[in-house]
Amino acid sequence: MTVLPFAWRSLVRQPARTSLGVLGVAAVGALLFDMLMLSDGLIVSMRDLLERTGFDIRVTASGDLRRAGDRMHDTSATLDAIRRLPQVSTALAIRFVEAEADVHASTNPVPEGATGTIALTLEGVQGDTRPWTVVTGRDPVGNQEVVVSQALADTAHVGLGADLVVRARCAARDQVLPPARLQVVGIAEFPFELVGDPTAGGPMNVLDDACAGPTDEADVILASARDDVDATAAAVRDAHPQLNVATNEQVLGRLQRNGFTYFRQISAVLTVVTLAFALLLITVLLTVSVNQRLGEIAALRALGFSRGRVVADVLCESVLIVGLGGLISLPLGAALARGLDSILKTMPGIPGQMYFFVLEPATLGQHGALLTVTAVVAALYPMQIVARLPIAATLRDEVLS
Amino acid sequence: MTTDGAIISACRVRRVFSMPAGPVTAVSEVSLTIAAGEHIAVRGPSGCGKSTLLHMLGCVDTPTGGTLLFEGRDVATLSDRERSLLRLRSIGFVFQRFFLLPMLSAAENVELPMSEAGVAAAERRQRTRELLDYVGLSARADHRPSQLSGGEMQRVAIARALANRPRLLLADEPTGELDQATGEHVAALLDRVNADGTAMVIVTHDHALAGRARRILTMRDGRVESETAAR
Repeated sequence: MTVLPFAWRSLVRQPARTSLGVLGVAAVGALLFDMLMLSDGLIVSMRDLLERTGFDIRVTASGDLRRAGDRMHDTSATLDAIRRLPQVSTALAIRFVEAEADVHASTNPVPEGATGTIALTLEGVQGDTRPWTVVTGRDPVGNQEVVVSQALADTAHVGLGADLVVRARCAARDQVLPPARLQVVGIAEFPFELVGDPTAGGPMNVLDDACAGPTDEADVILASARDDVDATAAAVRDAHPQLNVATNEQVLGRLQRNGFTYFRQISAVLTVVTLAFALLLITVLLTVSVNQRLGEIAALRALGFSRGRVVADVLCESVLIVGLGGLISLPLGAALARGLDSILKTMPGIPGQMYFFVLEPATLGQHGALLTVTAVVAALYPMQIVARLPIAATLRDEVLS
Repeated sequence: MTTDGAIISACRVRRVFSMPAGPVTAVSEVSLTIAAGEHIAVRGPSGCGKSTLLHMLGCVDTPTGGTLLFEGRDVATLSDRERSLLRLRSIGFVFQRFFLLPMLSAAENVELPMSEAGVAAAERRQRTRELLDYVGLSARADHRPSQLSGGEMQRVAIARALANRPRLLLADEPTGELDQATGEHVAALLDRVNADGTAMVIVTHDHALAGRARRILTMRDGRVESETAAR
């Protein structure tokens, strides 16, 4: 009987103990899996989100990534200048304003008891392309046409062709502006739509109308490069030194240094803690198991089993427990990650299409490697017991006991 | 002392254990030659060094003095790996407490040393069938140790000890856990094993079992007090 089947038979002779060990490793492994997904999840998700928008460069007034940062002025001129740069393929300016939709003011049938007002973000876009993707309907072209996110369509009960009455807060919070009646011409996906903050978007003049006049301001200019992104960013930076120009990679780097560091640190600490738990669990389990079988092991050694063979048996038992627990931990960890993700996404300012826990092929590799190392390290002490077992003394003690 | 043809030649073998209260001499100045096919019983009071001597003869313990040659090779110069191989191929052990692996069937227990020795699967199975037949347990091949009686377990243990056709079988109180009738059956089986050519050293308190051997060594305080020919 080779080492692996022998180790398996040794484990199943104590089914309750083995099951507890496997379940313990599964629980710890699930946490480990989640921590590994969390450590890079936000960055991976953010990179994916940035790349999906199709723009390589972000130009802002202050470098603040939040929508509430300083605004750029003379946007039209700046946007034209950027678009004229030979390295730039396309560019557009976006302005975000907070707004409220008056659900009952629209001409659409609204269910009884529906919420009266809904807070939303209104995006005004200036340029050739659009930052959103139209799912149904068409892109807005007229002065009062907008696309809305599915979340807004659902909460405000508006579909294609429906009215959407909004009151924008363009400057001061207490500024009261007349309501603007907009027409929904499409349902769109807004990559940076925040959870619980539905979005509507249209040409910049829609926003100008809602804000009672043009301001020629923008929160961000997005540009895509014809060729080398860094060179294009440098060209934009040279042309507009007063503005903050960042490539997607630079944005990610800034997030990694600042906002997302916490998650990385938390995940690193919890990874170490979970691995320590796994280590202790398996070590205790195997040590107890080995101590109960010292007589048998000594007898096997007396029968001619080599030291390496009995040590390998213990190692294989550890690998089997961790392997089985590790396999169970994957679906368990995935389910746990989904639950935790939905909880964490209730934090303010998180785009709906961002995820805290992201599975990458490397994560599976890291999970497997860490558990393998755990299995080996956890087996070291019981392996040492077996390796140093004095055969004659153990056989004598077994008879005396 | 000549070693020609001997399986074991022990010359003034000693075993001293270091204890907190001071060194304890378990075996002192024992010289012994075991030739092929011999049947030796070692008896004496508890603590006289019988089992320690057996362990040294079986290469699971190393003398702290004297010389022990196994088939002409000085056991003290062998590595742990070499001693394991020696035990696997040339020595069979039968223990008082059987030490069968409870998760394996009788056949699997018998097969285990052959598997470790690298014997091919078909040959292992054939040899296992022969051995279980030899000890009268063919019908119990698939039974776990927990489903066997004490005598049956010891017969399986004897079959396991014979698996790799050892030249020497060492048995430490092989009937110690058995009632008299069952012990008699096991003793008869051991006689048959010896008659079929395997040299045997049995450590026992049982006078009847010792009486079946051709040589009886009586130990006291770590020394061989007397040696008699029993039959």
